[in-house]
Amino acid sequence: MTVLQVIINSIIRASELSLIAIGLTLVYDLLKFANFAHTEYAVVGIYLAFIFNVTLGLNIFTAVLLSAIFTGLIALCIDRMIFRRMRDAGRVILMVTSFGLGIALRNAVRAIWGPTPRSYSIALQKPISFLGIRITPVQIWIIVTAVVFMVAFHLLLHKTKLGKAMRASSDNPALAQASGIATERVILWVWFIATSFAAVGGILIALETYLLPHMGFAIIIPVFCATILGGIGNPYGAMLGALALGFAENFGLYLNFGNIINLWGFFDFAGEMHIPTGYRDAISFGMLIVILLTKPAGILGRRG
Amino acid sequence: MIEYLTYLSIMTGIYAILSLSLNLQYGFTGLANFGHVAFFCLGAYTSTLIVVLAKGPFILGLLGGIIAAGLFGWLISIPTANLKEDYWAIVTLAAAEIVRLFFLNEDWIFGKGPYHGGAFGIGGIPRPLQSWFSATTYPFFYLCVVIFFLALTYFVARLLTNSPFGRVLKAMREGDDLPLAMGKDVRKFRMRAMALGGGMGGLAGSLVAHYWSFIDPYQFMPIETFVVWAMVVVGGKGNNIGALVGAVIIQFFYISTRFLKDFIPIDAQVLASLRMVVIGLLIVLVMLFMQEGLLKEKKRVYQG
Repeated sequence: MTVLQVIINSIIRASELSLIAIGLTLVYDLLKFANFAHTEYAVVGIYLAFIFNVTLGLNIFTAVLLSAIFTGLIALCIDRMIFRRMRDAGRVILMVTSFGLGIALRNAVRAIWGPTPRSYSIALQKPISFLGIRITPVQIWIIVTAVVFMVAFHLLLHKTKLGKAMRASSDNPALAQASGIATERVILWVWFIATSFAAVGGILIALETYLLPHMGFAIIIPVFCATILGGIGNPYGAMLGALALGFAENFGLYLNFGNIINLWGFFDFAGEMHIPTGYRDAISFGMLIVILLTKPAGILGRRG
Repeated sequence: MIEYLTYLSIMTGIYAILSLSLNLQYGFTGLANFGHVAFFCLGAYTSTLIVVLAKGPFILGLLGGIIAAGLFGWLISIPTANLKEDYWAIVTLAAAEIVRLFFLNEDWIFGKGPYHGGAFGIGGIPRPLQSWFSATTYPFFYLCVVIFFLALTYFVARLLTNSPFGRVLKAMREGDDLPLAMGKDVRKFRMRAMALGGGMGGLAGSLVAHYWSFIDPYQFMPIETFVVWAMVVVGGKGNNIGALVGAVIIQFFYISTRFLKDFIPIDAQVLASLRMVVIGLLIVLVMLFMQEGLLKEKKRVYQG
């Protein structure tokens, strides 16, 4: 594998994670709790897209859009049933509630579709080769989709009235409400946007690999790591955090640490030293620990 | 039937120890420990290492399990001891996964002999004093062992929570300001709560390893943590008797529903998923409608 290929792989991973991390950080900032059910919304989205794409035979683009909308609507229903009753509850209470919800969602998906891996009906992917790298059309689409959604999000946040209201409500909910912003409505919009972004991010991962009910749990640590790395409550930080994590995961597994040690001249290792692929998750955990020990507010964070 | 009841009682006893230890950390200290299964896993593996590989006696394995898990609890609280609950939750969750990954990937620990490691698990873990009993009477003896250690854990937990140390923990739960004003080093107290709770969790792990006489990394999935959480929140956080009651209720439900497939025609996979949906929803419902749990914490009110 060439370095360029590793860079491409890192960008693909970052594209998938960043859409999910943006949603997590938005909800975190506005409702002041870590939503451990967030990645399970991505799983719900993945399987909704499966219904539209495979069961109903729609094309994948329509399926992605419909799935994003329906995931958002499901999140609104769940908010009405559960989280709206708990607006004043403590952080730990909300966190535990969201985890319970996450377990219920994950296993409901598993009960319906079973634990076997599935895939969308898309044409077989023939990789394109240039400059010594191989990339499939789906992977190009993953990067394009993520960029489009990020730009759309930026415009929404800064060019629309809703975006202004969102920023005001997360800065100071009481002041926002006093200035005539209907914070309850902003909360609903944030739930909708956050979870539909999660659905799209999840589908991007599923497009590249498989659909699995426990995928949501498999990405919970990287997604939280990206969010905390970028600074909780900062969507641009979440994008940056996802990028840093994508590079760390791929280069962490690619680099020959034996060489690095040899370069320093302390030892003379003839053999190679790689991080075993089984420890991919440990890389994000290691980064998390380093960031918590050195700068717990994150790269672009505003509070600790 | 009697075999089933003994099995149920032994597993309830072991999980009750876990429930008491999580209650010490969450119920009394307010630490959102989402990685409790790490202690369970470390206790089981350490004890197995000592008894199987080093041919040590059972009691030494038990002590080793307690010490290893306690040390780990102390270790993972270093980066987060000064931080908020959200960080605790994700760090402990990730740490538990790393512990599991370690035992999954590092199969060399148990050598190449008759004991496999890694994903194959380790079998043939000796049961204490097995030669003294017949196969039918042994479970009753082991039940007595478990009850003895459960009683011990209960009294230690009660002693701790009623002591001045316990009062500092309870004060920390309500915020750091008061204990800081009293000159208490909250960081150290949090680390002690993690180490003590961790040690108890390790005890439960050793007990389960020597009961099953087979362990593998898949027995220590993150979901076990949330089964224990369900016990604590249903029984009543901050109440030791509540933790025991919760353990009995949840464990009875969790184990008994496995046999439901003998009575109604349902796929075992679907049943397993539905069981977890119920556990997840139960956590959500308790958080929504009954935050104190079945048995409320006894709060001492001082009249001035």
